[in-house]
Amino acid sequence: MSVNAVTSALALRGLIAECRAPLFKPSGRLMLANVSLNLIELGHLCAFLAFMVAIVQGLAPFLARYLKIPAFGRVSVNAAILVALLTTVGGITLIHAFITNNFSVLYVASNSNTQLPLFYKVTALWGGHEGSLFLWVWVLTLFTLVVAWHGRRHYPERLPAILAVQGWLVAGFYGLILFLSSPFTRLFPIPPDGRDLNPLLQDPGMAFHPPMLYLGYVGFSVPFAFAIAALVTRWKSELWVGHIRRWALIAWGFLTAGILLGAWWSYYELGWGGYWAWDPVENASFMPWLVGTALVHSIGVQERRRMLHTWNIFLVITTFSLSLLGTFLVRSGVLSSVHAFAVDPGRGAYILGFMSIVLALAFGIFLVQGRYQAAEETMSSPWSRESMFVWNNVMFTVAAACVLLGTLYPIVLEAFNARVSVGPPYFNAVMIPLFFFILALMGIAPLVPWRKANLAKLRSRVVWPVIVGVASAIVTAAVWHPAWTGIVGVGLVGFVVAGLVVDLGRVVLTRRQQLPNENVVVAVMNTIMGNRRHYGGMIIHLGIVIVAIGLVGSGLFRSDKIVTMAPGDIVQIGHERLRFEGVREFHQANYEALQGKLVSLNGRYELTPERRVFAQNMPTTEASVHSTLLRDVYAVIADSQDGRYTFHLYVNPLIQFLWLGGSTCIFGLGFTLSYKLRRGPVSARASLAANVAK
Amino acid sequence: MSPSKLRLIVLFVFALFAASVAAAEVHEDPLERQTMDIAKDLRCAVCQNEPVSDSQADLARDMRHEIRDQLRQGKSRAQIIKYFTDRYGDYILLKPPFDYFGAMLWILPPLLIVIVGAFGFAVIRARARRKPDEVPALSPDDRARIEAARGAGQVQR
Repeated sequence: MSVNAVTSALALRGLIAECRAPLFKPSGRLMLANVSLNLIELGHLCAFLAFMVAIVQGLAPFLARYLKIPAFGRVSVNAAILVALLTTVGGITLIHAFITNNFSVLYVASNSNTQLPLFYKVTALWGGHEGSLFLWVWVLTLFTLVVAWHGRRHYPERLPAILAVQGWLVAGFYGLILFLSSPFTRLFPIPPDGRDLNPLLQDPGMAFHPPMLYLGYVGFSVPFAFAIAALVTRWKSELWVGHIRRWALIAWGFLTAGILLGAWWSYYELGWGGYWAWDPVENASFMPWLVGTALVHSIGVQERRRMLHTWNIFLVITTFSLSLLGTFLVRSGVLSSVHAFAVDPGRGAYILGFMSIVLALAFGIFLVQGRYQAAEETMSSPWSRESMFVWNNVMFTVAAACVLLGTLYPIVLEAFNARVSVGPPYFNAVMIPLFFFILALMGIAPLVPWRKANLAKLRSRVVWPVIVGVASAIVTAAVWHPAWTGIVGVGLVGFVVAGLVVDLGRVVLTRRQQLPNENVVVAVMNTIMGNRRHYGGMIIHLGIVIVAIGLVGSGLFRSDKIVTMAPGDIVQIGHERLRFEGVREFHQANYEALQGKLVSLNGRYELTPERRVFAQNMPTTEASVHSTLLRDVYAVIADSQDGRYTFHLYVNPLIQFLWLGGSTCIFGLGFTLSYKLRRGPVSARASLAANVAK
Repeated sequence: MSPSKLRLIVLFVFALFAASVAAAEVHEDPLERQTMDIAKDLRCAVCQNEPVSDSQADLARDMRHEIRDQLRQGKSRAQIIKYFTDRYGDYILLKPPFDYFGAMLWILPPLLIVIVGAFGFAVIRARARRKPDEVPALSPDDRARIEAARGAGQVQR
């Protein structure tokens, strides 16, 4: 084809495009824009209505009590359903605005772009401050809906009080959303295109990290609402602890998944070769996780042994308070870290005020009413499973307090015009010994029986785990010569794993004595399936151990190199030999990229790290990772000068164990939750049990 | 494919391989390693919570240059860190020192373990000492009912 023909063809296409443009495009877009203009206002209206209905939901039990119209209490159930529906409409109109590129909405214009892939247009809903808060309240209303639905059958008489607590939380967050940081704010004149979604957030890990985290944070609001309602109405905690156990476990699971996704995102997207930096925002999610972990353990004690009632309520309130604190820290802009994008003192003051009121009320109610929830049973011996759980709670509470100290201390000092930095070296120094205590406890506690341990028997159970632990520590010290933390860490891992085997083996052996004809594998399976609640927990412990292996491996045995190379150069890192082949540049829909190519000389893989420039002109690095179970090779392309390129190269041993262990934890949680729920009104059965116990 | 061609290809592949082996192997500048080792414990003063070693900010780059220059002059790690703390204060250290402001950070964690641990121990001790509630004596009615049940073989002894 001649050059002429090409140009004329191009001209023709241009002409057609020009002809089509005025005919179809603007009118079509105009109509669509009009529709979405109306929809976003509908969403805004719904959000306002939801705010008001939530206040009614919060007032309903008070009105029922003081106006002496018990039927009014039922209003809160309908109100909860209505709030959830209205909020959902609001959320859908926002998502619609993103999908239809409705840049007349300020939030859409600031966080989306016509070039953005559809998937990220939807997830951009929580890509910024306003939308994340909306997601928070959306999740909260949906959880409230589930409570309302579930409670109508199981605890109808207490339901209004529980829903009232949730209603006030919803109203509090809606106050912030509607009056200080509205995602529905309009923008005129309408820009032709939006600013892009922060490129760092254009990643599947980041797309799911915030919703998971919020499902966790907000999930703890349900036990919180139960606790407050129970304290105020003097509802015996053995009657409701069974309901919040599942909620606490589910919330814990979401929080765990959220934290792991955050670490995953940090590792693959931020390009610094690590996954956890003890950044205040990470700590904000880690504190509720620590106290939540204490909670899910001690709820079990309460259910089994009717003790620690008051303490559990304290933990419930603390966990949710830390969730609120996390939201405050991240969303108020009080931390100026890479995550905290919001800088607006009005919002900060509102969140701080709201949080202070919730905390003051909750702990005030607890102090006044807590004694009515006191435990009844005694502890038979300091050598019992019960006391092990107390130590678990001690360790997790101290761990959370230390993270809180390290996170808040610089902020508090700054208020007095003094400045101090608390970074990873501090947290590692303080937290690693605590984690070791926790690991040791995790190894021994499942071997200690309830009520009172026979010390001679306990010794015979512990002896093998101790031998395995010491042996693995010695082998580690002899073979790899790591720092003392590595030796102790591996030793404890060995101890816990052997403890898990002993715990399971003991039960299997007994079973085989009774059923000698059963196949060993079948016996193991039946044992595990027969007590899913316990062994689900043990699977979670196993997952934590796998994570610990990953932490030791990647934390202590990491090698990294910064090298400047010309094409053809070879570099050796760890056991890997890599040759730099050269770079190429290319364009994508929403960014331009420079891609380097490193080829392995002793393995069949290549690494292609990229530097990307997005619409916002913010350059990002895209790490390239080659993973096997035992090690990751991680490459980032940094500077370039006169045809030579600087690479950051890392070999991270055992890092895949983090994700593997995390998945194991989630699987174990699902397993523990899968045991069959006993049907029928729980409160009736529990009150029967309480009566029998009297 | 003729054998000669095959031989040529094999030779060519070997030549490539030889070339790759002969290519320059790049080693990390040991100075760079020392620089990064110091930089990872210093805070990039303009960015938040990022060590100098990880930051892309201009100031961090300048600080890395400064560290490298001082290392070239033969200064020790302690001297270089002192150079920065003299200029920026202890704020620049990611690991807070044990001093007027930092002391609390180092005293409180062990203190917390002791306090909360003592609290936990007290709870266990108090609970363990408390005698279980007295079991109320069976009423004659109940006793008769149990004896009847035992007689009927419904309850095992």
